[in-house]
Amino acid sequence: MDETVKDDHGCYTEHGVSGYGIAAKLSRKEAMNDAFVKNMAEIMMLSIAQKCIELGARCIGHIKSHLKTEAGTIKADTIGVSHGSFSTGNLTHPVNTLYIAINSIVQGIPEDAVKAATLEGMHEVADQRGLSVVKEKEHTYFDEFDFVASKKDYIKQLEDQLAGGSTSDTDEGE
Amino acid sequence: MKITQIAGFLGCGKTTLVLKLSRQLAGDNERKVALVVNEIGEIPVDGKVIEESGMLVKDIGGGCICCEVAATFAKTIYRIYKDFSPDHILVEPTGVAVPHQVKLAARMGGRDAKISMGPAIVLFDATRPAELLDMEMLGQLVTTQVKDADIIAISKVDAVDDAAVGDSSQRVRAYNAKAEILNLSSFTGLGIDQLVDRILDWKE
Repeated sequence: MDETVKDDHGCYTEHGVSGYGIAAKLSRKEAMNDAFVKNMAEIMMLSIAQKCIELGARCIGHIKSHLKTEAGTIKADTIGVSHGSFSTGNLTHPVNTLYIAINSIVQGIPEDAVKAATLEGMHEVADQRGLSVVKEKEHTYFDEFDFVASKKDYIKQLEDQLAGGSTSDTDEGE
Repeated sequence: MKITQIAGFLGCGKTTLVLKLSRQLAGDNERKVALVVNEIGEIPVDGKVIEESGMLVKDIGGGCICCEVAATFAKTIYRIYKDFSPDHILVEPTGVAVPHQVKLAARMGGRDAKISMGPAIVLFDATRPAELLDMEMLGQLVTTQVKDADIIAISKVDAVDDAAVGDSSQRVRAYNAKAEILNLSSFTGLGIDQLVDRILDWKE
């Protein structure tokens, strides 16, 4: 059996699929409950998807997000503006800070355009809702922390990760 | 150790299915199940979602396991076999992976391990059949995934009417005459029992 597996560019590049990922810390002076966070995340996913289409994307693979807070986790995603956006999860109490990871996979535009749409969508929606992007780091794995760790420990792990090679570190709202 | 992949284009519901399927496959501690998740886009959001469910999950980033990081995938399979010896590994490749190449890569990892291959289950999103198949570049990818399937699960059937489900079934049947086609809703649970049975009974 031929077990040769090609080892050059990813299969997705052959099909015009590009991806971009970013992790960020967002903060707001007024505490945010889960309805606020879910709505913001859903709008953010749609905004990114819309911007990708405006930049020439032919199909939204998915725009996914994972929002971690001291009060719980929210997930939000979309497969295209016309399909709507969905979120799950809940927060046990309102929070002022959240950590978001966004993964945008799109067909028909290069990675630079996916990046531009993702960053613009994230910043725009955060700004509209009074959130500051305190730190952001692209292509972060955002997973070198332990979900069974104490709340204090996992926040430290998230902070440590965002501290290395940040795309930006505005320290607003700290 | 049986390796089963849950493939299909981006956004078709793989992660949701993998979560439900793994729990059902594990039963009441009847079987040990491990998960391997591969994502493009650098941020393993799916892996985080699954990890929070308490399942053993290995997240592979940095490229697609059917090509760029096939060697990493093969090593991961072997490491799971050595360290955990599960009865089943469910693999969620990227939404752009080609199932037969994922199989080849898994077999590489199984050279020194006792493995068997489960079915290549390919999900096809009933909410956007035309979007997936009618586009020149994308269509080639999706039809390749469908052609490689042992089982095709028409996903999100709870979100469309019966005519739309029939339309999707007809479309995929045109590309794969042999695969079993079943209806799936991870939301209602439709089709999950069937998939568990198929995985358990599957012989190469």
